Amino acid sequence: MKKIAFFLSILLFMGTQALNAQTKVITGKVTSAEDDMPIPGVSISVQGTTLGTVSDMDGNYSLQVPENAKILVFSFVGMKMEEVAIGNQTSVNVQLQSETIGVGEVIVTAYGTTNREAKTGAVGTVTGAQIAEAPVVSVDKALNGKIAGVSVTSNSGQPGAHSDIRIRGTSSINAGNNPLWVVDGIPVVTGNANDFLNTGNALASLNPNDIESITVLKDAAAASIYGSRAANGVVLITTKSGKDGKTSFTARAKFGTSWLANDNDFGIMSADQLLQYQRDAIVNAGKNPDDPMDSYYRPKELLSRPLTNWMDHMTRYGTIQEYEVNATGSNAKGKYYTSLNYNNTDGVFYGVGLDKITGRLNADYKLTDALESGGRVNLSYLEGMDVPMQSLYYSNPAFAGMTILPWTPAYTDEGKHNWEIAENSNQNPRATAEYDDQWGKNYQLMGNIYLQWKPLKQVTMRTTNAIETIHGEGRRFWSAETRSSGATLQTTMSKYQRLTTSNTIEYKDVLLNDHSVRVLAGQEAMKHTSSYQYVYAPGVSMDIPYVQTGTPGSIEAEQGYGARTLLSFFGMLDYNYSDKYFLQASIRMDGSSLFGSNTQWGTFYSVGASWNIHNEGFMDGLSFVDLLKLRGSYGLSGNNNISAYRAFGVYASSAYNGTTGMRPSRPENPNLSWEKNSSWNLGLDFTLFENLDGNIDVYKRKTTDMLLDKNVPQTTGFSSNFLNIGSLDNRGIELQLDYKILNTRDLVWSVGGNISFNKTKILELGDNEEIAYADDGRLRHIVGKSLFTYRLFDYVGVDPTNGEALWRDDAGNISNDYNKAGYTYDYSPEPKFTGGFNTDLAWKGFSLGAFFEFKGGNHVLLIEKRYLSSDGASMNLNQLREAMNYWKEPGDTGVNPKPVAGNGTNSNSFSSTRFLQKGDYLRVKDVTLSYNLSSKLVEKAKIGGMKFYVSAQNIFTFHDVDWWDPERGTDGIGYGIYPMTKAVTGGIELSF
Amino acid sequence: MKKLLILSFVAATLLFTNCTDFLTEEPVMSQSTELTLASFDGLNNATFGAYSPLVSVNWYGASFVLDAEMRSGNGYRDVNKNSGRYTVPYDLNYTSTATPALWGTAYYTISAVNNVLANLDDKAGKDGVTQEQVNNLKAECMFLRAFAHFDLVRTYGKQYTIDKTALGVPYLFVTDPAGKPERDNVETVYNNIEKDLTDAEKLIAANYTRDGVANSKSVVSKLAIQALLSRVYLYMGEWQKAADYATTVINSGEFSMWTADKYAAAFKEDTREGGEVIFEVYGLKSNEYDGYWDGISYMTDPDGYSDCAASNDLISLYDEGDVRGEMFMNNPDKAPTTYWTTKYAGKDKGNPDVSNTIVLRLSEMYLNRAEAMSRGASIAGTTPMADINTIRENRGATPYDNPSQVDVMFERRLELAWEGHFWYDLARTGGSITRTHFSGSVTNQNVPSDSKYWALPINKREMDVNENLVQNPGYDN
Repeated sequence: MKKIAFFLSILLFMGTQALNAQTKVITGKVTSAEDDMPIPGVSISVQGTTLGTVSDMDGNYSLQVPENAKILVFSFVGMKMEEVAIGNQTSVNVQLQSETIGVGEVIVTAYGTTNREAKTGAVGTVTGAQIAEAPVVSVDKALNGKIAGVSVTSNSGQPGAHSDIRIRGTSSINAGNNPLWVVDGIPVVTGNANDFLNTGNALASLNPNDIESITVLKDAAAASIYGSRAANGVVLITTKSGKDGKTSFTARAKFGTSWLANDNDFGIMSADQLLQYQRDAIVNAGKNPDDPMDSYYRPKELLSRPLTNWMDHMTRYGTIQEYEVNATGSNAKGKYYTSLNYNNTDGVFYGVGLDKITGRLNADYKLTDALESGGRVNLSYLEGMDVPMQSLYYSNPAFAGMTILPWTPAYTDEGKHNWEIAENSNQNPRATAEYDDQWGKNYQLMGNIYLQWKPLKQVTMRTTNAIETIHGEGRRFWSAETRSSGATLQTTMSKYQRLTTSNTIEYKDVLLNDHSVRVLAGQEAMKHTSSYQYVYAPGVSMDIPYVQTGTPGSIEAEQGYGARTLLSFFGMLDYNYSDKYFLQASIRMDGSSLFGSNTQWGTFYSVGASWNIHNEGFMDGLSFVDLLKLRGSYGLSGNNNISAYRAFGVYASSAYNGTTGMRPSRPENPNLSWEKNSSWNLGLDFTLFENLDGNIDVYKRKTTDMLLDKNVPQTTGFSSNFLNIGSLDNRGIELQLDYKILNTRDLVWSVGGNISFNKTKILELGDNEEIAYADDGRLRHIVGKSLFTYRLFDYVGVDPTNGEALWRDDAGNISNDYNKAGYTYDYSPEPKFTGGFNTDLAWKGFSLGAFFEFKGGNHVLLIEKRYLSSDGASMNLNQLREAMNYWKEPGDTGVNPKPVAGNGTNSNSFSSTRFLQKGDYLRVKDVTLSYNLSSKLVEKAKIGGMKFYVSAQNIFTFHDVDWWDPERGTDGIGYGIYPMTKAVTGGIELSF
Repeated sequence: MKKLLILSFVAATLLFTNCTDFLTEEPVMSQSTELTLASFDGLNNATFGAYSPLVSVNWYGASFVLDAEMRSGNGYRDVNKNSGRYTVPYDLNYTSTATPALWGTAYYTISAVNNVLANLDDKAGKDGVTQEQVNNLKAECMFLRAFAHFDLVRTYGKQYTIDKTALGVPYLFVTDPAGKPERDNVETVYNNIEKDLTDAEKLIAANYTRDGVANSKSVVSKLAIQALLSRVYLYMGEWQKAADYATTVINSGEFSMWTADKYAAAFKEDTREGGEVIFEVYGLKSNEYDGYWDGISYMTDPDGYSDCAASNDLISLYDEGDVRGEMFMNNPDKAPTTYWTTKYAGKDKGNPDVSNTIVLRLSEMYLNRAEAMSRGASIAGTTPMADINTIRENRGATPYDNPSQVDVMFERRLELAWEGHFWYDLARTGGSITRTHFSGSVTNQNVPSDSKYWALPINKREMDVNENLVQNPGYDN
């Protein structure tokens, strides 16, 4: 051992000697050209080598360089890169120019990078810094309102729930509408990956703080290279790589609390309000509320019982806490970024919570001058505690909290939870939250390893191989403590696994000075499998709550398995003449196991061109124009978001008479193919006066070969066949503006915003003029109309003479007979416009930012009001306070119908326009105040930096929807949802 | 250079073959149609699978039987105790968008058996499969095909005895995935039913019943084929043949009349040991097509959805002491004066409970024979009176002395009430309906013998996709 140590030290010594023999030391100072202030942290390197250092707090640096070193490169985020010839100097001082906002910023694109000056496609970006402070569990929530044309809709406010993202509208009815997510070059699994959780969001395994940038590819020129998966746009996520310089550590801690949003004084009735309402309804029905023999016996004595506000009883202040450490650094050969994050959220409803641990290691290492290797590895563990949500179950606290009668006691005389609640089917969600055991866990690995070889300066070959695996498990144990039916157990195990290989070769050169060319060819293959096992065991013992003790013969088990593969070949060409004219073309051939034998391969392509007008000679006189760029593109992409095996004719097992046979389950479909999406885009980018940035895009995209179930004669043995028969189009306009109002040394104030308008129109639905939305027949797809149209009975209002509900029939006549009501097709849940705006003010170490998000032109349907504003139909449920505003005397208009106990008139129909409302809202999504410790203090404390902040989420929302919150999912119907919550968080960030 | 070309060619070929393999992912949780129909075992499974839709709520699992009862006058709707279901048959408010869903379900079973029959012929002699096995499978398929078409034609077409030239339903010997078949006339359909059943009768082994099933009365047997033939001939007015086949079944000795004390319990049996049942549809929650809350039991459960109650017009017909008059119960709390049939009161298999639906039983054979004889057939050693009294004596009812043809038909209504017969018996004999105990819409309270409702409309969705279909008279497309 000693010998080895000795040998090593000799080697080390000799090495140092050798190095000393051929090097010299260069020192210097880096300052800002604007204000001469020193710039710490500038990366200084010797061109063509891996030698480098960073400037210290005073901007000074010292670097040992080889005698023959020629050029030093100075680079710093937000500054223009500077190259300085060394010559004989031993002292090199430089001044760095700040970069005009936006223009030089590197934008990650498919299989490469670009910048604002060079791009031809329509892309939007969000930087990691923009999402770091928001208390979001997953990255999809962070895109809300940030990018024009990207609409994010929450289906649930539950921590960890996933969102629906629509890029430039909705393109499909039966194949999905969510974009492709690509993390560090590899398409990943998205959506809910746990059978027993509303919150098994696969993207939650990404720690938002690990994200360096998000790019959204919107048009064909940007996205078509992803071929059969690109039709709904692509979201590219790049995680952080190691920063240049010595290792720095950052530790973060964040705490917060959340509560149910309610900005319109919305709520349920108190006990005395409800009792008065019910007694009035009983009198209106010609009965006596004080008659104990009557079925509607509602004596005033009810108020002397213990009273409970059940909504308050079901909810609480949620908590948010998050801790993180990360480290980043580099040396001459390698760089790395690593982080560990713990996030714990307890929801506003009892029994809802989420625990998440994520760890990441991103490492890159130069094996030789030409060979580089590295990996991106993300590990995560997610554990969600759940209760039934998203439907009008008795066990859903979001609904039961509003319906259980206030005079129903919350506790028994013994002080236990009362669950014998007749009006709620003997269920008490507060009790089940305590006694039941309902959770899901996801163990997720997402990682890739690459090897990159540059045999020549112009040529890069790269292979990236990735694995993603999500192992999920879940348990639902319904305790016998709160049920007369005994204990029931359900368990699930699921596995998603995806293997991807991506191999590219790139040639990049500048020919004859002005002709820049980049050619890329590539091949990819992907195999995705998913499987699950589910067991249902009623009657399990409370002592051994496992399947073994379930009722024999009643235990049921189920298994599922699916696999799909994708094989691709693709190529790209980028050409640019003298930074004025840009041309980009791409082609991709995808073969997929999902489609029929006749149509397994598809070819997708795009062409795009752009013209940098500001680089033309004739623009020389217009010095205020920093950038003016015209872009155009056309391309074809595909949508393959369908479930596996749809092309096969299959027999399914069919149990009957104690044994199992096989029955025809689907006809063969050898021509099943992708939905195709052809899109045009025309865009203009500009930067004026160095402080006004903007872009405008107009687009049209047409979906053809849309997959629909076509009715076939039932004499064939089937009712329908899944065929490529429909078409629809989306057109829209997007505008994004950013303006730096003030930009001085101490004070920086910027504002920005975006708005986009989209219109969807169905062109063809095969043989049909109208088909029902698969999830809810109240929504229809109708040729010539928007994608979603409500089909609702036309409610006119209240008859001022007698307080009855009035309906308009098909002939336009008004009647009080619900059975005569005609349908109206005038409303849609799709927003006409979406957007957001922000303002950021920074003064010395303080910064104050606010971000607003809005949507409008859509309608939402409040199904729940059938029960909660029922005009006397739901006499054993609590009602909304707004129900008290009802017809009382002739002449009253604009009020609810007169409540009559036992109301059977359908005045409270949930298929009518009565409960349809405008869904417009403006949300103060985020307000954040932060303070960065001044550099003097930081230096004294010998730390790298320190920051405090406090942030408020959804602190106020302007809207007219009679509900906690206006967001009801993309279909506008989402009943029983966990509403959006408000949150306040505070945090501290320390780097050293 | 040449070498390089060859090498690239080889590489390209390899790559292409590998691509094809890589892109082939076949379903494993279900079986491809091709594979299912390739082997005898697969065909055997596919034949058994063809039975499972019989228990669908569209067929014997509920509405084929209950619809017929609700529109025949045997049914009643309690105004307080119902779930809003079954109003269309009760009010006879049929239109092309509100008509029985039997069409799709029955043609589904027909397609399933046609798939088998189209692939069965070359299987004998291979892998140890005998001709007898093939023949038995064929017979099962032909029975199911005839049976499905029979229920279709008597629902959507006029009756053979009323107008056999009227439109029936397409009789499909082959299911064409692109087919848009025309409606055959009633006569053709019955001739094809007769052909399938008589062929099946010849093919099936005398002792054949399918292995491995819970209830051997829910699969095809030679006697089931013969019993169905008896009914089909009765519907065709072929009295002698109807009586002959009934006699064959009665004389087989396989079945025995339920006695009065066994009668109620017989409708709660899960599987059968002796007794009357010749063929029935088996109820169980684990059936693929179990209707659960929409199943026949919950629909006639006084404490369930309860939409299908029995009318006093029916209940008042039973004599004192007739056990069949006690096959009704009320809901003492919620509807003390309304009664529901107990023929589907369940097999004590949970809530909602499940029941078997009897399709063919011995009493029907006596009733078929009695009716056939009263209309001209003759069978040595028996008379209509003897056959009717065989039933009445086993029910605690007073025997008849010289019953008229009306008495025979009356007995048929009493015995087979709530088993889906009465409507069709009225239809084929040109009867009419007068309802006195009635809570529905008065428009169609009474049904004259020339009403359009004796043939129900073809569904609009089917008319829309098959331009070769013609709607029944009196209905809009």
